[in-house]
Amino acid sequence: MTKIDIFSGFLGAGKTTLIRKLIKEAYAGQKIVLIENEFGEIAIDGGFLKDAGVEITEMNSGCICCTLVGDFKAALEQVIKTYAPDRVIIEPSGVGKLSDVARAVSAVADKAEIGAKVTVVDANKCKMYIRNFGEFFNDQVKNADVIVLSRTGDVGEDKTAAAAAMLKELNGDAVIITTPWDKLAGAQFTAAMEHRSTLAAALAELAEEHHHDDDDDDDECECHEHEHDHEHDHEHEHEHEHEHHHHHHADEVFTSWGSETPKKFSEAELKTILTALDDTGKYGLILRAKGMVDASDGEWLYFDYVPGEINIRRGSPIVTGRFCVIGSKIDEGALKELFNIE
Amino acid sequence: MSEQNNDIPVYLFTGFLESGKTRFIQETLEDKRFNKGEKTLLLVCEAGVEEYEPGSFSGKNVYIREVTEQAELTMDNLDKWQKETGSERVVVEYNGMWMLDVLYTAMPESWVVYQEFMFADAATFLTYNANMRQLTYDKLKSCELVVFNRFKPDMDRMPYHKIVRGASRRSDIAYEYDANKVEYDDIEDPLPFDLEAPVIDIKDEDYAVWYRDLSDTPKNYEGKTVRFKCRLLTRKKLPSKTFIAGRHVMTCCVQDIQFAALVVQWDEASTIVNDSWVILTGQVHFKFNIAYGKKGPVLTYLGAEACEVPENPVATFY
Repeated sequence: MTKIDIFSGFLGAGKTTLIRKLIKEAYAGQKIVLIENEFGEIAIDGGFLKDAGVEITEMNSGCICCTLVGDFKAALEQVIKTYAPDRVIIEPSGVGKLSDVARAVSAVADKAEIGAKVTVVDANKCKMYIRNFGEFFNDQVKNADVIVLSRTGDVGEDKTAAAAAMLKELNGDAVIITTPWDKLAGAQFTAAMEHRSTLAAALAELAEEHHHDDDDDDDECECHEHEHDHEHDHEHEHEHEHEHHHHHHADEVFTSWGSETPKKFSEAELKTILTALDDTGKYGLILRAKGMVDASDGEWLYFDYVPGEINIRRGSPIVTGRFCVIGSKIDEGALKELFNIE
Repeated sequence: MSEQNNDIPVYLFTGFLESGKTRFIQETLEDKRFNKGEKTLLLVCEAGVEEYEPGSFSGKNVYIREVTEQAELTMDNLDKWQKETGSERVVVEYNGMWMLDVLYTAMPESWVVYQEFMFADAATFLTYNANMRQLTYDKLKSCELVVFNRFKPDMDRMPYHKIVRGASRRSDIAYEYDANKVEYDDIEDPLPFDLEAPVIDIKDEDYAVWYRDLSDTPKNYEGKTVRFKCRLLTRKKLPSKTFIAGRHVMTCCVQDIQFAALVVQWDEASTIVNDSWVILTGQVHFKFNIAYGKKGPVLTYLGAEACEVPENPVATFY
C-alpha cells in the first residue's frame, strides 16, 4: 500500500533539501511520487530525481488563499492510480496549514497509508516566526509528528536548545530533531518518522532491559511513566500511564523518566552527572540510567549507569540527545536540574 | 497639505519579516528632517530581529505601541492610542502576513495615509511572491515606493520590475545594493497597444493590462475607438439600450477572479445574445452611468463580429 508523508515548513526552511536527502539515503529503490505545492527557490534537480525514479507532480495553487480543496483528493487518487507508488511525498505550500493538508490526505485513507507529518523549522528563525506568523506557523508545529530543526550546526547550542524548548511548548509529542543534518543518515530521520526512534521507545527499551537484568519473574515490565504522558496512538505497545509495580521489591514503586536535549556534554561533565546519581537522597533511588548525548567534539557519548558503575563510550550521532532513568521515588525536578534541562 | 487641518498623517511601512522595515524607520526617526520632536505614535505590528533604539531618535516624543494580534487593530484602540499619547502623526510598521484591509478599515476617519512604502529582501522576494502572491500584491497595489534591498549586481531587475508593475504602474521602485548605492527603476513599460491609433486594437493577452489602464486613466481614452475580444452579457437590471461587455480577469489566483467589464450603449442592445463572445468595437466616453453609480468609461457601440471562445477565457497580467 502506498505510504504518504507530508513535509511542511515555511519558505526557506529546508524542506526540499531534507526531501532530497531522504530520497537519496532512505528511500532508495522505492517508487516515489513527489507532489509539490510550493514554488521553491532550489528547483529540485530533475536529473537526480529521474535517476531515482521519482515522478514530480505540481499542484499549482501557490498562494495562501488557494488552500487545498476538494480536488486535492482527486489529484492524489489519480497519482496513486497512475503510478502505484510505494511512497507519495507531499511538499505543501510553506504558508499552508499542515492540518488542512493532513485532512485532505486522510480522505484517501482507504487507498493509502498515512505516514509521517514532518515540519521543518529554521533554528535561526524559529522564535521570530512563532512571534509574528501566528496561526499557520503554529499549526505546522502543533500538527507535526516530527519537527526537524534546520541549520542547527550554524546557530550553535544555546539557540538550538531555545528553539527546541519553544517548539516543545507548542508540541510536546513530536520528536524534535536537533542534530545537524550532515551528521545523520537518512534512515535516522525515517526511524523518528516511523516512531522507532523516540523518547518513548527509548524508555520502553530501558524498562525492558531493566526487566531482563533484574527480574526473574514473568511480570510485564514495559510499563513506564515519562514526561510525555499524552495519548500516543502509535505507541500501543508501550502505552502505560500507570506506575510499574515491581515484584522483586513489593514495597517499592518504580517509575521511569527521560528527556531530550540538544545540549552538549563533555565526557567529564557526563561523568560528574552520572556520579551524582548515586545521591539517593537528592534524586531518588536510580536503578539504571542510559542515554546518548552530543559530545561537542563531533562524536556522541553513549552512557549506561547502574549504582556505583558508570560506562561511557563513544558512538555516532542520533537525532537528538536523549536519556532515561528508571528507579523509585525519582525526583524529576532535581534530575532536570542535574542534566541542565529547561 | 494645509497646516491647520486635523488630519493625523500616517506613514505606513509594509513588507515581510526581515525586509528592512525596522532599520528604515529607525533611521527615519533619527533624521531631524523628519523628527524634530513631533509627538509620534509608532505602531509596531511585527517583532523581528532588529530592535528599535529610541535613545537614538532625533526627537524624544515617539510612543511605541506593540501590536501582536490583528484583532487589536480596532478603531477604538487606534483612536485611544493616538489620543492618550496626544500624537499628531502615526508611523506603522505593518506585519507582512496581515492584509492591509485590516488596518485600513480600523483607521479612524482623521487618519490619512500620507506615505506608504514597501520593503523587500531581494534575495527572498521572488520566492515569497511566488508562494504568497496575494500578500505581496496586497502591499504592492497601493504603495508609492517599493525598495528592494540587498540587491546584488548579478541580479536581473526585470522579474522584480514586472511583479511590481503587475500590481501598479504608478509606484517607484528602488534597488538598494548597499547603503551608498541605491538606483531607481527606469525601465519603461510602453503599453502593449497604441493609444493614438484610429482604432486601438487590444490583443487577447493584453485585456487585463488594458482594462486596468482604462480604469486608472479613463480620461486618456475620451473619444477613442477601441476593439477587443469580450463576452457580452445582458442583465435585467441594466438601463434600456445598454449591455455589458467584459472578461474575467485573474489578478493573482483563482480566488480573486473578477468580471472586468464595461457598460455599452446601443439602440439595438436588446438583440444581443447573452454570453456570446464577440470582437467588439466602440467609442469610449467618460461619463456618468447608473450601472456604475458614478462616472466611468462608457462604450458607444460601433460594431461587433462573432468569434470563438478564446483559448484562455480568463485574462491575466501575463
